[in-house]
Amino acid sequence: MSRNGPLALAYHTLFVAFMLAPILVVCWVAFTPEGFLSFPTDRWSLRWFEAIARYPEFISAFWRSLWLGAISSAIAVAISVPAALAIGRYRFRGREALTALFMSPLMIPHLVLGIAFLRFFTQIGLGGTFAGLVLSHIVVVLPFALRLTLASAVGLDRSIEHAAVSLGASESVVLRRITLPLVLPGLVSGWALAFINSFDELTMTVFIAAPGTETLPVRMFLYIQDNIDPLVTSVSACVIAVTVVALVILDRAFGLERMLVGRSASHGR
Amino acid sequence: MPFLELEKLTKSFGGHNAVDGLTLGVEKGEFVALLGPSGCGKTTTLQMIAGFVEPTSGAIRLGGKDLLAMKPAKRGLGIVFQSYALFPHMTVAENVGFGLEMQGVTAAERRTRVAETLELVGLGTFASRFPRQMSGGQQQRVALARALVIRPQVLLLDEPLSNLDAKLREGMQIELRQIQRTVGTTTILVTHDQAEAMALSDRIVVMNQGKAEQIGPPHEAYERPATAFVANFLGKTNLVDGASVRPERISFAAAGLAGTVRTRIFQGNHWLYQVDTASGLVTVIRQNTGEAMPGEGDAVHLLWEGRA
Repeated sequence: MSRNGPLALAYHTLFVAFMLAPILVVCWVAFTPEGFLSFPTDRWSLRWFEAIARYPEFISAFWRSLWLGAISSAIAVAISVPAALAIGRYRFRGREALTALFMSPLMIPHLVLGIAFLRFFTQIGLGGTFAGLVLSHIVVVLPFALRLTLASAVGLDRSIEHAAVSLGASESVVLRRITLPLVLPGLVSGWALAFINSFDELTMTVFIAAPGTETLPVRMFLYIQDNIDPLVTSVSACVIAVTVVALVILDRAFGLERMLVGRSASHGR
Repeated sequence: MPFLELEKLTKSFGGHNAVDGLTLGVEKGEFVALLGPSGCGKTTTLQMIAGFVEPTSGAIRLGGKDLLAMKPAKRGLGIVFQSYALFPHMTVAENVGFGLEMQGVTAAERRTRVAETLELVGLGTFASRFPRQMSGGQQQRVALARALVIRPQVLLLDEPLSNLDAKLREGMQIELRQIQRTVGTTTILVTHDQAEAMALSDRIVVMNQGKAEQIGPPHEAYERPATAFVANFLGKTNLVDGASVRPERISFAAAGLAGTVRTRIFQGNHWLYQVDTASGLVTVIRQNTGEAMPGEGDAVHLLWEGRA
């Protein structure tokens, strides 16, 4: 492994600082006692964290976003697994087209998707419902789930499954006992990436969500249209804290680096 | 009637015959090596026996029964893969016990048989390890144990030793042969390594472009190669005046084919010579007996049995 030179090190430091600075600023401002976005601040207070409690719609939006992300990502992964196994391991007619179809939500601007879903859901009576949110989020996060699931399906050594077959395992046993456990890391990382994308989605959701089905980003967006005060920063700080905890747990369980590069190597317990 | 019969076995990939009318009979308990360069069809043959590749034509019979009519999972063959193909998420004991579990063997009997088989391959104390915690040679043994524990009718070995370093490979060859003799399982080995094929097997099938060039005991194929391809593939050979002569059969003498030593290489237990002669460059191998040997540039005469 080659070591970084001083120039490269300086570049990396700058880059990391550039990435982290906004997050740190947000967390810092969250602790201000002032009634406006004061930065830098040298006085500390938890006042804006206490303020969250007075806005139950933020808390319910947070839970809604959590559920929405969890459900839509889980369904996206469930769709991805058979798709990834087929695309990753077989050569068949229409394979390229199928891949392009699954990946296409990446290429369509979310603004366009938002307007299209709004029209479509109103037409079929799903306008402003949680089910509508789930459906639209499945579409948006599917490419992320599929990408990582596909990476682990492609990396799977076929002879491992052949070995199981030669030992007398039926196809369903091979799938359950061998294939799925081996693609599990890719599956979990695909779910995590899909979840992050769903949790973060605003541009499309702002069209689809109605009062009562607002997600956290939508709630925050609507809030800062009327008020500029540190409440959004304290909410953001909470979300960042939850994210960091979740990443630490995932890292302990599966190894974050391997998850995010989508390697298939399995991890023993 | 042989125990395992391949009859006019053929596999075409887009008009090209990877395996071309291969006929072979393997006796019960016999160790047969399919030997040849990459692309000669040896691996495809193995995969057809295992059931992972469907033949274009021909038949495979095991104990008189049509093997092709059986699903791969029902064939009862033990396979050791080149990559070992161990289940990375299972312990050694779970890996080895997997086949028994599929057969519905009770947990208690499974434990006994797994322990016995691990003992056989010298891994008695490794049962609770995971494959990634083991060396290549140990993983190789786990793969062998996993294939043997189901008491397979035929053991198929696909380049089993090619991922091991030279020293380990030699040790494993000896061990593999002993284990095969002990359990007496009919075995088919696929390899590109002629030394491995000769060391392990009762008979070798030298394959080239999908066809068997020669089938016979290693010694016989080496001494009496049926074709120039076999002669070249099984060790070094000289073509002198149209006849094939092994380098170690040529000796230095007072009279014979006159030549000049071009290079001399010392290889510990033997000397390797290249001698310029009127019939071209001749390779000579002489045992290192401690005697003085001709040096580079010396004039020599070459003699071998059968030289007119």
